[in-house]
Order: sequence, then structure tokens, then C-alpha cells
Amino acid sequence: MKSNLKNVFNYTLIKISLIPLNLWIISSLIFILLRIAPGDPIDAILGSGADQEAREFMRSKLGLNQSIHIQYINYLKNLINFNLGDSLSNQEPVIQIIRNALPATIELGLFSILIAIFIGFPLGYMGLKSKNKKYDYISRIIGISSYAIPPFWGAMMMQLIFSVILRVLPIGGRFPIAGNPNSITGFFILDSILKNDFNAFQGAVYHLALPSFTLGFLLSGIFSRSLRLNLEKSYKSDYVDAATCRGINEKNILLNYAFPNALIPIFTITGFALASLAGGALLIEVTFSWPGLALKLQEAILQRDYNLVQGIVIVTSIIIISINLLIDIMIAFFDPRIKY
Amino acid sequence: MNKLKNFRRKISMTCTVIAIFSQYSCTNKINPSQNIIIASSGKIESIDPARVSTLKSYQLLNALGDTLYELNNKGELIPRLADSKPIISEDKLKISIKLKKNILFHDGTPFDSSSMKFTIERFQNIGTLNYILNKKIKSIETPTKELLIINLNNPSSSIEGLLTSINLTPISPTFYKDHFDKFLNNNFIGTGKYKLKRFSNEIQTLSPNKSYWGNKTKNNGINFVGYNNSSSLYGAFISKQVDVLLSNSIEDTLSNSLNLLSQKKDIKENKSAPIEISFISLRTNKIPLNNIDIRLAIAKSLNRELIRNKVSFSLRNSATSLIPLIFKKENSVSWPDFDPKESKRIFKEQGYCNGNIFNLPLTYRSNVPTDKLIAFYWQQSVKAEMKDCFSISLNGVESTTIYKNLSEGIYPSVILDWTGAYSDPEAYLSPLLSCEKFIGNNCLKGESVFSGSFWASEKVEKLFKESENVEGVERLNKLLEIEKIASKSLPYVPIWASSQKAWAQKYISKPVFNGAGIINMSELVRNEK
Repeated sequence: MKSNLKNVFNYTLIKISLIPLNLWIISSLIFILLRIAPGDPIDAILGSGADQEAREFMRSKLGLNQSIHIQYINYLKNLINFNLGDSLSNQEPVIQIIRNALPATIELGLFSILIAIFIGFPLGYMGLKSKNKKYDYISRIIGISSYAIPPFWGAMMMQLIFSVILRVLPIGGRFPIAGNPNSITGFFILDSILKNDFNAFQGAVYHLALPSFTLGFLLSGIFSRSLRLNLEKSYKSDYVDAATCRGINEKNILLNYAFPNALIPIFTITGFALASLAGGALLIEVTFSWPGLALKLQEAILQRDYNLVQGIVIVTSIIIISINLLIDIMIAFFDPRIKY
Repeated sequence: MNKLKNFRRKISMTCTVIAIFSQYSCTNKINPSQNIIIASSGKIESIDPARVSTLKSYQLLNALGDTLYELNNKGELIPRLADSKPIISEDKLKISIKLKKNILFHDGTPFDSSSMKFTIERFQNIGTLNYILNKKIKSIETPTKELLIINLNNPSSSIEGLLTSINLTPISPTFYKDHFDKFLNNNFIGTGKYKLKRFSNEIQTLSPNKSYWGNKTKNNGINFVGYNNSSSLYGAFISKQVDVLLSNSIEDTLSNSLNLLSQKKDIKENKSAPIEISFISLRTNKIPLNNIDIRLAIAKSLNRELIRNKVSFSLRNSATSLIPLIFKKENSVSWPDFDPKESKRIFKEQGYCNGNIFNLPLTYRSNVPTDKLIAFYWQQSVKAEMKDCFSISLNGVESTTIYKNLSEGIYPSVILDWTGAYSDPEAYLSPLLSCEKFIGNNCLKGESVFSGSFWASEKVEKLFKESENVEGVERLNKLLEIEKIASKSLPYVPIWASSQKAWAQKYISKPVFNGAGIINMSELVRNEK
């Protein structure tokens, strides 16, 4: 155990030491790709009616008149100093824009994963316990539907049912129109709890309900299918047979033998799901007007706001790398068979 | 027994959830502040007059501030912060504007000529659209607190129109003293009927300015909210989550559906005068479109009525001119009408037809749904009427890429739209037709390069210059003459002119637009539901 801990520690150190290299590759790639991509931030800012002089003035004001390699060197220098620069379109610090949008994405992502687990695990277990019976088919249909439904269509249907027809949930946004979130951390639900403000809590939860449920449902298929497969594999293993022979009851076998072992691959899947949500679920954020990172990224791409796109990609990369590292460490702790 | 317990537990949980939902849905419908909720598409990134450039931010600024002048819905110049119409010197290089007295900014400081000077100079310094002003203004004088004198580099008759620009909404120099050379995106201190109470990119709350100099607001305040897509906007309006819906980018199918509801009197609808022109830009500096007859044949193949009916459900107006009607009162200039027979005859005359089909590559903005439909219907109409002579191949490109490539002459023809930066016919002609450097009819440097037509005319340039030295009807006639030349030379083919639209719930008064397509928020009243 001690040597495994040492190995995990060494592995973590190596992974952490590689982070700057990873980030340099990612940041260079995004820098190059943005410059290769057609379009010009000047057109996005000034529109197509501006004259040549105004364009040149704006170009020099934003530092886009410098040669690409000078722009690249300045960009790297700023990155080393943890400076992501200012947005080209509104001149606000990129880090500030990300700081405002990131809590919305994390809040949505976390609740969606919880809902996905809440839907997916019972479905997966139910399907396995009643193999090739009614519940199994229902579980399969729901699981496959969650993969197959296009996110924008699913989101629009949810809006139609719960907002337009039933009128019980808001159609979009993150907080009631007439309310004021008075944010402390940027996480509205947490803020409302910290301030003991029940109305704000209610407002935040009801605005989060539709987007997180939609995203959670769309992700639930991955959890139900993988739990089912891994649980089935665990039930067929020797240690479950041995436990059954020892007369241990079914509930204990599930909770103490089969389920913990089935969870290890699911950890990895959860990591991937979290990582993919770190960049935001674009279509969900767009449909529900959820002011998260993905929506910012989409707007920044449309406006060719190089600094903001670069900033969001780098921050997202850091989050993804960190989540992956954390998952690797957790797996190593939970599964002694895994050696690094 | 256990089963019964479980069942009870489930029932009580369900009831709790339903109770919470219903409680919220009820409280949500009650708008305790009784503010009027206006929804529009997209976000407002900035409320700084020097930076704003979108209609929705103009809409908001119009409620928070006053301009020197405003265009009413008849297109007439109405003084707001100015006391009277501007006085122009004989040499037309000096404009004197008398300002109203006893007007206060929201921070309690007085509005005077020095604050107007501060506003204009700040816009010249950092304004995103400062190019519309910079070459025109030489200096600004403030001999007294109530008199503002603008000295021009050259005579400019469009300066009156520019003074209606929301980008020149006066701001408090005291409040903005640290922001003379940088934007202040999330706050605003002006002189308007409303004060900004809360600003986020998605929601803005306005409360009435109780010390406003003019007529007070008729409502308790406004909540201005942005949704990202048409379906959310439509859903929010239909489910009465919002009171007023502005249509700056709602899809035409939804617009049609709302129009039908308004015909049934379920909701109220109003629209502005059409001020946005959609057109096809033809690259005139290269073969085959350098041939004016080919351009004429193309112009005559455009079935505006079909496009208008099929794409906009007849909700937009076919346009046969570049200047919106509100700025010229009568449609004396007209582009060629749809005439497929004549179009075919011209193509034949030019050596096409009978196996030699003229193909026009048409580029449209893939992120603008109506552009795609316009392109598709034109293509199909041409296929039905003149397939042996003329065909259109479509190419969808994202708008920012199109704007970048326009001046490089990549697109033989492209669908674009244009709304003047200020309320004046020149704001529609100059950005499309003026050219600084040209050889014959080919523009090498200038506005028409950036509009993708590369078209120039010595006579047009001369008329632009002449129009700067005259006023009123004489000036309008010069500009109409420019438009007439363009209608014969066909660097552009107008498609339709679009209005801004607003829909209000039955219990809200009908929204009213001014001449710049902005609704007067202060006139909105909530009646009994």
C-alpha cells in the first residue's frame, strides 16, 4: 500500500510537471487556429461599414497590426504572467469575464451530473435485475433515447412542456427577471443559502431545474448503460459467487461487493462527462439562455474575439487536465490493482 | 405494511414537489414591482454610448438618456436636449446649438454645453463607430453653458442627422471622468426618463427618473431581458413570462404566428417605418458582372413578391430602392422590376441561353436564416422561369467571414443588409456607393470596396460633395440623383426593407416607435389583466 502511494505520488508529480507543456501546446494551437480561421475581429467590432482608416486605427489600438510572431511572443509573455489580456470586443479583462461565466457552467454541470446519476443508476440496476423483462426494455429505451435525442430538440421540448404549456418553470435565464441575485461566489444556489434567502434559493433552483434536468437526462444513458454492464460483470465474478456461497444476502452483495467494483470504470466516465461539461454544454446554454462559459465561447468565436477565445480554451483545458488527474488519483486509491 | 409506508412517502414527496412548483409558479407570475418586462434577443454587452452599436442597446440607451435631437415617426427632426433647431453659418462650417436649461444628470450634476462637448470628444476618442464623426468635426466650442458650437472641417449637411445618434447621448462628465479614454460597460449616468437600477448582460432594470425635466414615465419601471434564440423569446411571450417582445431577430415564421395572434386581437402589434435594407451586392470589377447588361438581366430575374410572400409571409416590404421611404417621402427612384422574359432576352443578347447557361455564384450568410431562404427561393424561381439561360449556385458562409472577405473581392454576388448609422439618406448611400480612389467605374479604395461591389462613378462622387453644401429639398434631390445613377448601374439589387416590430400582451398599451425604429418605453402602460 505504501509503495503504491509512493507510485501515485510520483505519477501525480509527473502529470503536474507536464501541465505547462500541455498548456503551451493547447495555447499555441488555439492561437494559430484563430489566426488561420477566416474572419476579422475588426469587422465584428466595426461592422462592414467602417472605412479603411477606422479599421487600421482599431487594428493598431488592439495590437493586431503587429506581426504574428510578435503577437505570439506577447501572448506567451502574458500567459506566463497569468494575464489573459482584455476582450477585444468590450475591453474587459478576460479573466473577469470567465470569472463571471464559470460559476454558471459549474453549477449547471454539477447538478446535471447529479441528475444523470440519479436517473441513470436506478435505470441501470432495474434493467439488470429484470433482464429481458418489461423494466429492462424500458430502461434500454430510455437509455438509448437519451443518446439519440438531439440536445437542442430535447431542450425545446422541455421548454414547450414545462414553460409554455404547463407554465410551471421559466423558459430561460439563471435568475428571476425582477429579482437581484446579489451574488457573493457566483454560485446562486450557494449564495442564497449563505445569505439565508429562501426566495433567491427558490428562484435559482427553478431556473436551474429545466436546463439541468434536460442535460442530466441526456447524460443519464451513459450512466445507466455503463452501470448495467459493469454490474453484470461484477455479478459474474468469483468474489460475488464466493459471497453468495457464504450466505451473504443480496443487498449486502450489491452494496459491498458488486457495486463498488462496478463503480471504478464509472469514475472514469464521470470524469469524462465532467470534463466535457467544464467547457459547457453549448446547445443547452444557448437554448436556455444560460449565461455560462459555452455561451461566452460561442459569442467570442462569432465576434473573433481572439483573447477571449484563447482565455476560455486555456481555463477549460486547465479544468479538464485537473479533473483527469484527480480521477486518476482517485482510481489509484480505490483500486489497489491499478499500478502507476 | 412497508409497501404502504413507501407509498405514503412517495405520495408526500410528490405533493411537496408540486406544492413548491405551484408556489413558485404563482409568485413568479406576480410581478411585485409591476415593472414592464420587455424581451429582446441576445445580450447587451455594454451600456456605454461610445461603444454600443446594436439596436437593442440603442433601445435601452434611448430610455436612459436623451439625444440633442430625435426623429419622429414622420422623419422630422425634433429637439430634445437642444432648445431649437441647429443654426448653420453661411459658410456651413459652424453649427450653433442652443441647449435647454435646468436639466440634471442622474447623479444630480447639471447638463450643459461642456458636458455635451465632453460626450462628443469622448466618442471621437474611443467610440467604436467614431469614424462616422471624426472627419467631420474640427473643434467644439462652449462660449456659454447653453450654447454649443461645432466647427466642421468641411460643410456637412448630414451633421443634423448625426446629432440624433444615440452614440452621442450626453453623459455626466463628473461620473465619467475616469472613463474618458475607456469604456464603462455596466453603468450609465445620463439625463433620461429612467435611471439604470441594475445591469447584467442578460437583464437590465430601469426605474423612473423622478427629477426628469420632461414628461414623466407612465409605468413604474422596466425590466429588459435578453434570450438567446427566437423560440425562447416566442415561448416567453406566449406563456406571458414577458409583457413586450421586440423583434430585432425573431424568425419570420414566429413573427407570422404573432401577427396572426394580433389579427385575432389576442395581442397588440406595432412596427416602425422600414429602416433596414436587404440587398444583393454584385462584384462589378470583374467579368462577367462588370457587364452592366448582365447585371440588368440579373436584377430583372429577382422575383421580390415571391420572396416576400414565401420567406417573410408578406410581413416585409419589397424594396426597389436603397434609401428607406421615411427619409425621402416618395419613391421617385426605382430599381428594375421582375421581368423574366426581358431578363432572358438580355441573356440571349449577351450570348447566353441555348445550351450556354449563365451561372451566378450567390453567397449568403449561413447564420442568417432569412438570407438562406431568399437565396433558395431566388434559385428556384430562376430554375422555374429561365433554366435554359440562367442558374444560381448557392454558397453559405458565416457572416464574419463574409465581412472580412468582401473587400478582397472573393464573392461575385452576396446577400447583405444595411441599417444607417444615423437617420439620414446619406447614411444609406455613402457606405454603399462612395469611393475615394477609382479608375473609370472600378473602385480601388473606399466604401464600395467594403460593400463588395467595387463600383464607382465620378458623377456620384461629385454629387456627394455637392450634397454637403446644400440643405433641405435641394440636398435630398442630390442624394436621390445618386440613387438614380445607382439604380441604372446596378452595383446592388435591393430585395426588401424591414421594420422593427414589437408585440405587447393585451393588458399592455400598444408600443409606439420613433423614426429610428426605437420604441418609447416610457409610454408603455400596464392595464388590468
